[in-house]
Parts: sequence; C-alpha cells; structure tokens
Amino acid sequence: MKRLRSLFLAPAWLVIALGFWIPMGIVAAYSVLTRGMYGGVELPITAESLARFADPLYLGILAKSFVLAGIATVLCAVLGFPLALFVARASSRKNLWLSLVILPFWTSFLIRTYAWVFLLRDTGLFNTMLIATGAISEPMPLLYNDGAVITGLVYGYLPFFVLPVYATLERQDPLLRDAAADLGASPWATLLRVTLPLAAPGIRAGALLVFVPSLGAYITSDLLGGSKTVLIGNLVQNQFTAGRDWPFGAAAGMVLMSVVAVLLVLLLRRDPESLL
Amino acid sequence: MKRRVFLSGLAGVAGCGGSRTLRLNVCNWSDYVAEETIPNFEKEFGVEVRYGTFESSAELFAKVMSGNSGWDVVFPPAEDLQGLRALNLLAPVRHELLRNLDRLEPGFRRPPWDPELRWGIPYMHGSTGIAFQKHLAIRRWADLWRDPLQGRITLLDDPVEVLGACLKKLGFSINSADPVELRAAQAEALELKKRIRAFLNAEVRDQLVAGDVQAAQAWAITAQQAIAETDRVAFAHPEEGFPLFCDNAVILRESRRQALAHRFIDYLLRPDVAAAIVVATGTATANGAARGLLPAEVRDNPVLYPPEEIRRKGEWFEPQPPASRKLRDRLWTEIKAA
Repeated sequence: MKRLRSLFLAPAWLVIALGFWIPMGIVAAYSVLTRGMYGGVELPITAESLARFADPLYLGILAKSFVLAGIATVLCAVLGFPLALFVARASSRKNLWLSLVILPFWTSFLIRTYAWVFLLRDTGLFNTMLIATGAISEPMPLLYNDGAVITGLVYGYLPFFVLPVYATLERQDPLLRDAAADLGASPWATLLRVTLPLAAPGIRAGALLVFVPSLGAYITSDLLGGSKTVLIGNLVQNQFTAGRDWPFGAAAGMVLMSVVAVLLVLLLRRDPESLL
Repeated sequence: MKRRVFLSGLAGVAGCGGSRTLRLNVCNWSDYVAEETIPNFEKEFGVEVRYGTFESSAELFAKVMSGNSGWDVVFPPAEDLQGLRALNLLAPVRHELLRNLDRLEPGFRRPPWDPELRWGIPYMHGSTGIAFQKHLAIRRWADLWRDPLQGRITLLDDPVEVLGACLKKLGFSINSADPVELRAAQAEALELKKRIRAFLNAEVRDQLVAGDVQAAQAWAITAQQAIAETDRVAFAHPEEGFPLFCDNAVILRESRRQALAHRFIDYLLRPDVAAAIVVATGTATANGAARGLLPAEVRDNPVLYPPEEIRRKGEWFEPQPPASRKLRDRLWTEIKAA
C-alpha cells in the first residue's frame, strides 16, 4: 500500500523537484556568489548581494511594490466579491457567467495588458470619448502613472480573486440565509454577518492569489507605468539584463520569495484550511 | 515575422526526424531580415535555417554566455564584442571565405571596435537622437528640458541611452566612467524625469504618429518608421553629439558549422540580398554596394544615413568597466525609483 502510494506520488514529486526546488536552489546559490564581469556568477561566496538589500533605495522599491500590490488586492476584493456573489447566486446561465470570468485567460497576459495602452492613451478610447462628449477639452493623463499600473493589476488578477470566493459562496447552504431572515436579520445584515464570514477562507485565498503575483509583476509597470516606477520585479529583471548583476538579482528574488513565504506561513498558522 | 519563426521552428522539428540536411542556427534582432532572406538561402544552399530572435543585447549575451547555446551566427552590438571575446565565445572570421567582404562601406572596413574585422562583420548601424513634432524645431538634447514639453516627451528605457544623452548635454562622452560626470548626468536625468511621460523604446512610434508624444529620445530607425507614416514628425541628430551603434554578424566558437556560417554571412553581404533587407525593414545597412542599389530617397535618407558633417558628431558606444557598470546601474535604479 505504502509503496503504491509513493509510486503514484513520484511523478508529482519529480516535477516539483525539477521545476521548483532545483531552480530555487540555483537562485539561492547565485544570491551568495560574486557577480561575473559580463554577467553570470563567480566564486567566492559572499553575503554582499543580500546585504545590499538593506539599502533604503531597495527597501523603498520593496515598500512601493507592497503598497501597489496591496491596493490592487483591496480593489480586487471590492470588485470581485459582488461579482462572485452574483455568479454564485445566478439562477440561470451560471456557467456562462463563470466562463466569462475565465475568458480573458484565453489571451496572453502581455497582450491583454498592452491592450490597456490603447484604451488609456491620449488618443485612446476613453480620452477620445470624453472629449467627444465635451466632458473634458484636453486629454486626461490616464496612462503611465501608478493608477494605470493598479488598473492593469486589478484587471489582470481579478479572476484569481473571483474564482475561490465563488467556490466558497457556491458551497454555502441557502438555508443558513433563510434561518438568518427568520431570526429577523435584514438582507444587509445577513450578507455582513452570515455570508461574508463564511466566505472568509475563499476571500483569504483570493487575496493571496492576487497579492503574490502583483508583488512580483513587472510587465504591468513597464507597459502601463511607462517604466517610470521600479517595482521589485523590474529590479530583478534589470539585474539579469542591463545590470548584469545576477547575484543581486537572485538576492532580490530571494528577499521577495522569503517575504511571501513568511506571509503564507502566518496565514496557514491562523487557518490551516484557508488555501483549500 | 512571428509566423515565419514558428514555421521555421516546425522545419526544425521535422529535421529531427532523420533528415540529414545541414541546419544553421541564426539568432538575430527581430525585424532585421526580409521575408524571403532566409527561405532563399535555404533553397540556394540546400540547408535548413533555425531562425530565432532576441529583443535586447543583454538577452543575447545571456543566451550565448554558456558556450553551448546551440546558435551558430548571432548579431551582437559592437560594444559587446570585447566581452564576448573575453569569454572566449567568438570564432575568428576567415576573410578568405567572404568573397563579398569588399561590399562593406569604407567606413565599416576598419571600425574602431575591431579594426581588422577579426571577430565580426558590421551588419546594420544606427544612431540615437530626438524624434519630434515638426513645429517644435528641436536641435539639441538641451531642448528636451524646455518648458512647453512638460509631460509630453519620452526617453528610451535604457540606461546607456538616457545617461548618454545627459552626458552629451553636459559636454561629456557617452562612455564616461568618471563618477563625477556620471553623477552630474544623473542630476540632469532626474530633472528630466519630472517632465517625461514615460520611458519607451520602439513602441513610442505609434504615439509619435498619433501626436500623443511631442518629442522622444528615439533610435533613428524608429523615427524613420514614424516619418514614413506621417510628415508631421521629424528627427534631429542632436548638435551636442549623439550615440552611434552597429550590430555585427559573428560566428560563435561553439558552432560546428563554421563553413556554412561563413557562407551565410557572405550571403548577407551580397548587395542584392542586403538591399532587399533594407527595403523590407527600413534599417541602415553597413553594406555600401547595397546602398548603391537603393532608390535615391532611401540611399540618401538623412535620418538613417546622416551626412558626414553630422555623422562626425556621433560617438560609438564602448564597453564599460565593471566598476562603472555597477555605478551606472545604481544611478539608473535611483532615477527609476525617484
């Protein structure tokens, strides 16, 4: 029995080892090596790259990434919860609404993000329409600022919030709501004191699924932020390309990963089932 | 472009199925050959070509650094040749195998980065300047710091270009490794950052054409593409001086098809082949004989081929020593994070 179990688990372990643990080990090893003159890594082993991260410049970049990812997560929650509720409670066409939520995944993230450039720029859809209706006379600066980056993050990761929340809402017993109503709760009170607390595991999982990729995002800030802000993802990318400092890039990646890991541990300790 | 890469990828897969045709692996910048360049070579020499593309010199460098990248011919910029050589990644070019070598423009037969053309053959070249809406009459880098442009200009998303322009504005070399000069250039860049809309590379073209962007630090090739679409856009080679670059065809030392690789480079040097590439891509060729075959308005296009008195103000990018690279990266991150 036990042998059979490990036999069936072996492929998954192999994939995780090859695709996750080994590459992560390489990143960890790179982060304590010395930069090669033309990129790459050399001996000796040093903590210099990791120590460099204590610099206010880089801590500031990390903080900014946290703030933007945090705002994006909150917005995803505000927009995503009603949407998930709507889909879960829809009496007909539930599958249609659900596929519409997933539909954007059929196109590459890069292309979807780039499409926002055409919506937000001076001669883009929004500004053209607003000018045509006389609401404004000069185009508004919609593109190339933090607002555009947050818009792109929320747009890109909203389905990651909606789906787990939908899953918990879908499983909720409608009788609970009836019971709340029978006991005199208004619909609003039922929502806040019954539906929402019961959906908490889904909300936590959704928030994590939005927050973590937002934290490492770099395409969004490049395309919609006009590269004017460096997020931690951009910093990592730049170290491996123009900066040719692989150890520092790896160190920045390790710092980001550790922060995310700590968050996960805290969350799991509080509620071991929150990621189910 | 993408479609052809995909199709040639399929050909590569098919090639694994026991076919014994020779296969040459070429990695080039995107949009750097004509549609028929590669198929014609395959037909004429009875070989297969796996054609890949890269988007930045750093990407190429990272790709070939291992020494077993699987590529035979790649196209690095001149300032990377020294580093590639130092890592022992390049095979020397054998001139006796290149019958069309004398087609190169005289200015590229003894380039400063490789005077005897031992390591690479100049392919395309270009410069960086300012593309702008014609009514602005921009002539100098310093014009970018002018008030009316507030929020309507863009810079390239590239540290050597942005620091290079700021260094030039101050009268220094684009290749300066002097911390004092670099700090001064960074101060200029920080000032300029408050006025820019975004850091954009080739994608600025559409926004220049649409009129969203009033002035952009841009590569001559990008500017020329915008100018071809609208006569409202013009390009200036800034009077303070400007960067020049040249991409070179090199053969990697790891290549086991050295003879075929030379044949490919020789093929690219043929005037008719090089001219067809220029017509299709709107780039500037280092091939003088090919230029002679082009229609006059392309051949003497002042954006792509500035006249000698302007060209003299250009400066070639050079490799940076490690200390300066580190400082420049730090300054760049500070600029970006500001």
